[in-house]
Amino acid sequence: MKKSNILLGLAGSLILISLVAWGYQIYNGLIVTNMRNSFSWGLYIATFAFFVGVAAGGLIVSSTVYLFNIEKLKPFTRIASLSAFASILGAGAMILPDMGRVDRIWNIFVYPNFRSPLVWDVIVISAYLLITFLSVYVQLLPDRKKEGSRFLNGWTKAHSQEEVEAFSKKWSKRIALVGLPVAILIHTVTALIFATQASRGWWNTAVLPPDFVSVAVASGTALVLVIALLAVGKEQFDQHKGAFQIMALIVAGSLVVHFFFVSVDLIIHGWWGSTEAKEILSLIFGHYRYLYATELLFPAFTMVLFFTEKGKRSYRVLMIGSVLLFIGVFAHRLMLMFPAFNAIPLSLSIPGAGIESWAYPVALGQLQEGMPVFVSSWAYTPTLVEYGVTLLPFGLVLFVVTAALKMYNFLPQKRSM
Amino acid sequence: MRLGMVIDLDRCIGCRSCAVACKSHNAQPPGTWWNRVFTPGASFHQAAVGKDGDLQMEYLPVSCQMCDNPACQKVCPSGATYTDERGVVLIDYERCIGCRYCIAACPYGVRQYNWEDSKKAKERAGYEKGYEYGYPADCRDKDGRLVYTPNRPVGVVEKCTFCAQYTSSGEQPACVKGCPGKVRIFGDLDDPSSEVSKLVRKRQTVRLKEELGTSPKVFYLAATKPIR
Repeated sequence: MKKSNILLGLAGSLILISLVAWGYQIYNGLIVTNMRNSFSWGLYIATFAFFVGVAAGGLIVSSTVYLFNIEKLKPFTRIASLSAFASILGAGAMILPDMGRVDRIWNIFVYPNFRSPLVWDVIVISAYLLITFLSVYVQLLPDRKKEGSRFLNGWTKAHSQEEVEAFSKKWSKRIALVGLPVAILIHTVTALIFATQASRGWWNTAVLPPDFVSVAVASGTALVLVIALLAVGKEQFDQHKGAFQIMALIVAGSLVVHFFFVSVDLIIHGWWGSTEAKEILSLIFGHYRYLYATELLFPAFTMVLFFTEKGKRSYRVLMIGSVLLFIGVFAHRLMLMFPAFNAIPLSLSIPGAGIESWAYPVALGQLQEGMPVFVSSWAYTPTLVEYGVTLLPFGLVLFVVTAALKMYNFLPQKRSM
Repeated sequence: MRLGMVIDLDRCIGCRSCAVACKSHNAQPPGTWWNRVFTPGASFHQAAVGKDGDLQMEYLPVSCQMCDNPACQKVCPSGATYTDERGVVLIDYERCIGCRYCIAACPYGVRQYNWEDSKKAKERAGYEKGYEYGYPADCRDKDGRLVYTPNRPVGVVEKCTFCAQYTSSGEQPACVKGCPGKVRIFGDLDDPSSEVSKLVRKRQTVRLKEELGTSPKVFYLAATKPIR
């Protein structure tokens, strides 16, 4: 297949560009990013959170099959597991360039601080990586035995094809059921990294973890949907219409829950009217209004599209809706950073001067002519190097998915099982 | 032992000597300030704020608040940030992995990152080649953890250490010694007869962002300027 070779080439070049950019960053330090002391997390962490989000789909789709006995989705459990494995691999890879001392990353394992939500995240993400890998592995076992593949498959030699198929069936189900709580956990814990921090009013809310789960169910299912649509093609679309409709419904339904959480969050931030809350609201509806509008309106549009009868039945609408959702969710992840870091936590009121909120300036960490050293907000826009490094997870996901689709039968119609 | 500090705002003249002493004694690279002094409410330092012609000008020095419940320490995935037996929150420059979670967690904006190699930063800022300032030797705690080094490695977080290189041998921090108005009082909060303990006990004190529950060990005596 020529198309897959082109895609593999593209993925390879994305990975190469990102590695070169990362090398440049390691040589010079994170000064080549536009992050500074007052705005210390940016595009990397937002992209990491995005990929954690889309990694949900795999186990959500496969466990729906087993938990609710939805047979129509069954042909897509392999693609679902594959998309989950690829996404969580991308997320894990994205976190590395954000570490200023990636050469000391082993310190997390040698001296883990179990009070840190970051350590919890390392644990659940590693577990999810393993589970999704095993999920793909057991589902491919029968096919690979038939092909006579030896790699990691040697032990099946002593067993008959029927035995291997029974094993694969049994363990696919078990892994899907064990994996579901872990899938929920990766979003919960990733959200807890932010939500535990009382210093940042924008993050410090108990609604953040459930909201992360709802966004993840929507965007993760949408990723499975997109890969499934591409793999099946327009020709066989009708054959699997039922499955696509269920996935579209899962996406739209979880978006309803997401918008419910968003509304509750905004009301609680706004109602009491504290100066901190007012500052955050003025940031999201003022300076960052376009990005915030993208976060709200794109997924809202997808939600409406996926609820309509016509939308659910159209290949194009499903495709466009999913892409709009991805853009919206990416904006959502970026909007985690902007209002949080541009509302300086150490704000004081000076009643005698009629000042309710005055931000105590933070040192940037860089001395450059024409630029102040102390700031109370930082107009963060990623640098070219940051964009380059951020290609890493995109390249990895594209590479893993394309290579796997090329090597093995993930496509439902070709399966003999 | 719980080392703490009392800052008497009535005495502060906003001269920033403490910030400069801190900066040079601790060899902070350009753009990095462990200790800041600003005029709350004003858009630049030493400018009066007020309304209807009634002006005021107070100063507020802020460095690490040495919290008893330090968010920065709790979020640190590798245990690089820790509280030593004297109650001082420190960073092990050899263990920090540079994730910057602590910078997001700290409500006081005191944590600073080495975005580039400090020697390179000094060169880029136009400092004379070979010019070195600050305490010249490494300082390690009793477990051998590196808590001060004149040229910080790239990619690690740093902040006020209560001048670990001095206070570990019983001396006073640079900001305390460098203050011309004797604004800062440094001592053991566990010792009831220490000056800091007496002030905390007898005077009305304020801690920054107390509502967040961080329990800082830096106490401020509010500027009173009695008018009746």
